[in-house]
Amino acid sequence: MDGWWKKNPFYVEYMVHEATALFVAAYAIVLLVGLVRLGQGLEAWTGWLEAMKSPLSIVFHLALLVAIAYHALTWFKLFPLTMPPIVVNGKRVEPNVVVSTGWTAAIIASLALLGIVWRIAA
Amino acid sequence: MEIYKADVVIVGGGGAGLRAAIAVAESDPSLKIALVSKVYPMRSHTVAAEGGAAGVKREDDSFDYHFHDTVGGGDWLCEQDVVEYFVQQAPVELTRLEHWGCPWSRTADGHVNVRPFGGMKIQRTWFAADKSGFHILHTLFQTSIKYPSIKRFDEYFCVDLLEEDGRCQGVVAIEMGTGEFTMIEGKSVILATGGAGRVFRESTLGGIVTGDGMALAFRHGVALRDMEFVQYHPTCMPITGLLFTEACRGEGGYLVNKDGYRYLQDYGLGPLSDKPKNKYMELGPRDRLSQAFWYEQQKGRTIEHPVMGSVVHLDLRHLGEAYLHERLPLIYEMAETFMGIDPAKEPIPVRPGVHYTMGGVCVDGKCETSLPGLYAIGECASVGIHGANRLGSNSLTELLVFGKVAGDEAAKRAKSVAPGNSASLLKQAEAAEQRVMALRTKSGGTERIADIRKDMVKSMEDGCGIYRVEETMQATCDKLGQLRERFKNVKLDDNSSVWNTEWLNAIELDYQLDVAQAMAHSAVNRKESRGAHQRLDGPDGAYTKRDDVNFLKHSDAFYVPGAAPRITYGDVKITKSPPAARVYGAEGEKADQERKASNV
Amino acid sequence: MSEQKVIEIEVLRYLPESDQAPRSEVYKVPFTDDMSVLQGAQYIKDHFDGSLTFRWSCRMAICGSCGMMINGIPKLSCETFIRDYYPNRITIEALANFPIEKDLVVDLSGFIEKLEAIQPYIIPKEPRTVEQGEYIQTPAQFAEYIQFTSCINCTLCYAACPQVGLNPEFIGPAAIALAHRYNMDSRDGGQAQRMELLASEDGVYNCSAVGYCSEVCPKHVDPGNAVNINKINAAKDYFLRFLSPKGGAK
Repeated sequence: MDGWWKKNPFYVEYMVHEATALFVAAYAIVLLVGLVRLGQGLEAWTGWLEAMKSPLSIVFHLALLVAIAYHALTWFKLFPLTMPPIVVNGKRVEPNVVVSTGWTAAIIASLALLGIVWRIAA
Repeated sequence: MEIYKADVVIVGGGGAGLRAAIAVAESDPSLKIALVSKVYPMRSHTVAAEGGAAGVKREDDSFDYHFHDTVGGGDWLCEQDVVEYFVQQAPVELTRLEHWGCPWSRTADGHVNVRPFGGMKIQRTWFAADKSGFHILHTLFQTSIKYPSIKRFDEYFCVDLLEEDGRCQGVVAIEMGTGEFTMIEGKSVILATGGAGRVFRESTLGGIVTGDGMALAFRHGVALRDMEFVQYHPTCMPITGLLFTEACRGEGGYLVNKDGYRYLQDYGLGPLSDKPKNKYMELGPRDRLSQAFWYEQQKGRTIEHPVMGSVVHLDLRHLGEAYLHERLPLIYEMAETFMGIDPAKEPIPVRPGVHYTMGGVCVDGKCETSLPGLYAIGECASVGIHGANRLGSNSLTELLVFGKVAGDEAAKRAKSVAPGNSASLLKQAEAAEQRVMALRTKSGGTERIADIRKDMVKSMEDGCGIYRVEETMQATCDKLGQLRERFKNVKLDDNSSVWNTEWLNAIELDYQLDVAQAMAHSAVNRKESRGAHQRLDGPDGAYTKRDDVNFLKHSDAFYVPGAAPRITYGDVKITKSPPAARVYGAEGEKADQERKASNV
Repeated sequence: MSEQKVIEIEVLRYLPESDQAPRSEVYKVPFTDDMSVLQGAQYIKDHFDGSLTFRWSCRMAICGSCGMMINGIPKLSCETFIRDYYPNRITIEALANFPIEKDLVVDLSGFIEKLEAIQPYIIPKEPRTVEQGEYIQTPAQFAEYIQFTSCINCTLCYAACPQVGLNPEFIGPAAIALAHRYNMDSRDGGQAQRMELLASEDGVYNCSAVGYCSEVCPKHVDPGNAVNINKINAAKDYFLRFLSPKGGAK
């Protein structure tokens, strides 16, 4: 079974999806570190903020963004597989409707968050 | 050689075999059942049946109607006492299958629904979308798992019956995965091996439908009855022969020729009406519809396709996509996958193809053959309900009704007879092994089995098609005799023991040649036209008509080693329906009313 | 008639009595556009080498016999067409994740044992006699399970499932879908009996939601969905055990 996942694009997508979960974890750690720094006082917090602005950090965050976006997209794709069927008005909701609803909700939520952050920053 | 001692041996794991196994298990859990099948049971060809199973269901229907439809549909060659039992048991068995989980299609209020079918006066065909056979088979297979007394011999290929003291006492089979032989003893043996339609070229049938059980019984002196009656289903996919169920027409589909004309009205099936009407037009019986195709072709009114040949159109467009998806999902998928046609947008090109063998191993109403201890059920048997032409949806019910009968009878027998003499049975089994092994190990042959098979199916199509004449039938008989000779010179590429399907195919071909001979010789000897056996010849065309004086009789073909089969004739059991003109459409309705009036 | 085209079919051969290991053989097969890959294999058997071994019967994607890996993807060879690969070579191999018996024939005994183990029959909730007639099943009740009745046992989903490859004891997509089919049937009351196996070490939690089983299913059964729904059911059952004296899963 060694290297089984390389044999088929479907498996590759699955493995990349699973691997991108590590990026989600990585970002959670970054945020956690920020929280710890905040608790350690102003100086530590400013230092963390500065570190976040470094070009390396920005490249890292961009990479995180791409990976997490991929994870989110493929995560919604798994919805019809993993959920019990949703019945509306006696009719089963089509899998692609479930997926696109998930995507739409994620995009709207992201934009809303971006808007709020933009307003606060402004 | 491996030895297994069972009480009841069942050969064939399709609908009939499984139903029989369950019947034995239910009648006495202490009986040991051996279910021998050359494929895993759910691969059996019952799986491909589409339309449904007939059984009286509605208030406005009656056993009497079902009886008359069946006997008239069979052109009065039915055993009427057996038909009577059959129609009464049909709803019982279909209901039992519902209890076992068969997902019959339902009405809005949750009851089992029924659909119209060809030659049936009232709609009485229970259906599970257009995968009725599939659901029946899987329900039976899965239910059979409940019974620990059923021991399955999956992928075991039966090569002979064991006969001792004038009774059948077991079988010899090859374990396909190893090539090892096994002797399976049994006090009763039930053959449930299905039909033999693969002796023809263009058929709806799976590769496994090779008449094994028929040939086995035949070689042991049991008659093959009414073998000349082979059903052409009128709506099959050209070239492959894959089936477009009669339910296409039951649900309202049209058959039209190259002018878009519903030609069936020209063949005693009219007049046209707006709505589908039972026993009219497209809801006529299969033999008549296939014969009408032949005439349309003669008149040059079929559509000529460069690859597919002559076809007519099965038009389902007016039924609408949603309805087609609900009622005929498999048909929809098949048209799309195999032909690239969307049946909601385009008509489907179809032509007749071989579908069913009405005849088979001659049995009485209790499913017992002339060889004590040997029973036969399902398509491999001729219990007498189909006569000269089977009505669509009677055969799935037959599997259940007579599977139960044979199971009960075989169980009764198994409890009453003493076990056989194992030593002498083993000697027989070893002789059978040597015979079958010789085919695999012999050298010096030159004939490929594919070539012999090709010549056989071509010859059967030429001689035993929808319309038949003496000359070509005789040519087929002669050709089959030659093929028998050529078969002796067969050469196999594979002489290994594990999974040697070439060897098994050769044994099948041997079976097929026997069955084909029974068909062709029975056909040439029946000098009349009845049901699916239609002739164009005779002095002044005498054979083009039904001849009740000379041929209201079953034909019985008997095996003659190394020669053509011997054909004799037996009486037909008539109880309450004397032979009458077989008419459909408006004429049929008139005849029905007259019959009713005279009965009052 | 169109000009005869020829396709190369590469077959993974294995004759256990003479081959140490599987080997490839290439055949040049003339074909017409209506020919399936199965017909290609039949052509080879009829004309080139009678020892080529594969299972087949119905030719119409309902008997479930003729599954094989076609260019690495599990498919029913009867409904896969040569024209869709031409002019490239077609590679056919035995279904993945099963032991090969000979050429394209795999050992299905393990799969059959799994099917049998999940008790795939109605365990009546309320027994009924034939005289009482059929059970009533509303369209909504019917819709709950009908999709899961369509499995033809072709085992393509087992060939598609990497978890089956890693743990051959995993009862796998089709068998779990069949258990789910009976659990969801309004006539059935056997869910608790089936739960033991579904929640066992070889049960639903082997699945990591790859989802390829549902992708390759030729009958749109969506076995992956059945497996995942039963993860939820098994979890519910587990927690209900603590609450109910008799255990969960009614």
